[in-house]
Amino acid sequence: MIKFDSVSKRYADGREALSDISFEVSRGEFAFITGHSGAGKSTLLKLILAMEAPSSGQLIANGVNLNRISATQIAHHRRQIGTVFQDHQLLHDRSVYDNVALPLEICGYQPNDAARRVRAALDKVGLLKKEKSFPEALSGGEQQRVGIARAVVNRPSIILADEPTGNLDPGLSAEVMKVFQQFQSVGVCLLVASHDAALIERLNCRTLVLKDGKLLADQKPRPSL
Amino acid sequence: MSATKRRNRNPDQPRARRNTRAEQTESFANRVKLHRRIARGSASRLLETPASSLVTLFVVAVALLLPALLFGLNSNLASLLAGFQDSAQVTLYLQDGVSEVDGQEVSESLLTRIDIEDAYYVSPSQALEEFSAASGLEDLLQEMATNPLPGAIVLTPADVSPAAVDELARQLQELPQVDVVQVDSLWLQRLAAISNLVSAIGSVLAVIVILGLFFVVGNTIKLAIENRKAEIRVIKLVGGSDMYAARPFLYTGLLYGLGGGILATLLQGLVLTTFNSNLEVLMQLYESDFQLRGFGFRSALLIVVAGAAIGWAAALMASLRHIRAINP
Ligand SMILES: Nc1ncnc2c1ncn2[C@@H]1O[C@H](COP(=O)(O)OP(=O)(O)OP(=O)(O)O)[C@@H](O)[C@H]1O
Ligand SMILES: [Mg+2]
Repeated sequence: MIKFDSVSKRYADGREALSDISFEVSRGEFAFITGHSGAGKSTLLKLILAMEAPSSGQLIANGVNLNRISATQIAHHRRQIGTVFQDHQLLHDRSVYDNVALPLEICGYQPNDAARRVRAALDKVGLLKKEKSFPEALSGGEQQRVGIARAVVNRPSIILADEPTGNLDPGLSAEVMKVFQQFQSVGVCLLVASHDAALIERLNCRTLVLKDGKLLADQKPRPSL
Repeated sequence: MSATKRRNRNPDQPRARRNTRAEQTESFANRVKLHRRIARGSASRLLETPASSLVTLFVVAVALLLPALLFGLNSNLASLLAGFQDSAQVTLYLQDGVSEVDGQEVSESLLTRIDIEDAYYVSPSQALEEFSAASGLEDLLQEMATNPLPGAIVLTPADVSPAAVDELARQLQELPQVDVVQVDSLWLQRLAAISNLVSAIGSVLAVIVILGLFFVVGNTIKLAIENRKAEIRVIKLVGGSDMYAARPFLYTGLLYGLGGGILATLLQGLVLTTFNSNLEVLMQLYESDFQLRGFGFRSALLIVVAGAAIGWAAALMASLRHIRAINP
């Protein structure tokens, strides 16, 4: 589903944020990306979302070759991917409901069909009561959960999450992971960047460890006893 | 994905999407509803900054007004011209020696020409009668021993364009019975030339105005996009196409064009009423009931539609260009 083949990313200032990364994540797989701050976790997710283009190497996600992708293909590609951004990326002049409905509106869903899906997504992250609020009026954790609801509302085939639990307490983090695992169980491919060692330990998923832009380790889940 | 899972699938349950899944089709009614909402959003954004919106609206209106007035003026000139041309007449003053019978004969032979609509003979005595009646100099004229007026043929050309009338006059001058051909076409020609000039200026002005409107509306849209960069970035991040992100701005452009067009027709009406009241005084002197026309419903509609189309097209060009440049 996602395949990195010797991918490097050099930003305009010449610094190499990722170097020679190779790994593959398949359908229904849940992988964490971890590493120190500045290790290149966000950069890796940005490459998959075509926010940045790889400097070298082959990158294929969801059957799309991201080395050669046109503007219209990018829009279509992103519609298949649900993304939780490190900095939320919410629309501040729209309500929580409208924010979560945005991907559906872009895909042209019928309003009542969209309404059902939006409410279901908000319910999953425990924000059903806040649907009329505006992002400014929400706590950091609540904004983060709006982002999570928006990422899953359109039943994507890939979910990318950049520090999705950064502002959440352990209880909420566990809830969110449960939502993610639901998606994993129906074949969605998940890639979650996180610092939260305890959480990663507890979930026992595949973990890609980055250090200074290099793939240090690709840890498979421990066999369950 | 197992078959059982699929069978009792709850619509709220997540489900992996196949890559080839066709995007949901929009029903027409939903599409209309969505567009109405976007248009309302664009309109309310314009109202949020009433001062600058009004300035832009006014600039658009004045820009549309200039060529509209010029074309309006020209269509009036043309209809004025046509009115005179309808009554264009050519008078052939015959040689002294031509008898009434001969004159009658020439007149009838002229009627057979296809380039002559109508012709009739005026004998010297008829001419004298008419002249004395019209001039009120009957007493004086009766005392004259001989009739000083020549016989004449008054004819109406079939083709009243200045060139055709001139050509006809030249040919008739060749006739042996004809002494003088009188055509008052020179001032008609001048008027026609002025009319052509006005319409040429109008065309050039229209091109300049369209370019200007593209610039003004494009610049306004550029600023609007600049102000909403963050929003456009988010839309692009979740898979909105450039065209999707551009939609609100297309409505902004459309509204500017539409509003500017309506304002232009109102201003035009104002200009027209002012002109007509002055014109009335002038035309009374000429015993004419001529009025500036051609600014009716149809031309008003044309201005509004043209304004809306230009506004929309300008917004399309500007928004696609500037939205494309936003890379999340
Ligand atoms: N747009 C950019 N231009 C230049 N350098 C960048 C850009 N974005 C990131 N970098 C650099 O690339 C490296 C990796 O950044 P990245 O955001 O991927 O780190 P990260 O692992 O997500 O860190 P964090 O855990 O703090 O979010 C950093 O050294 C950063 O300075
Ligand atoms: Mg990061």
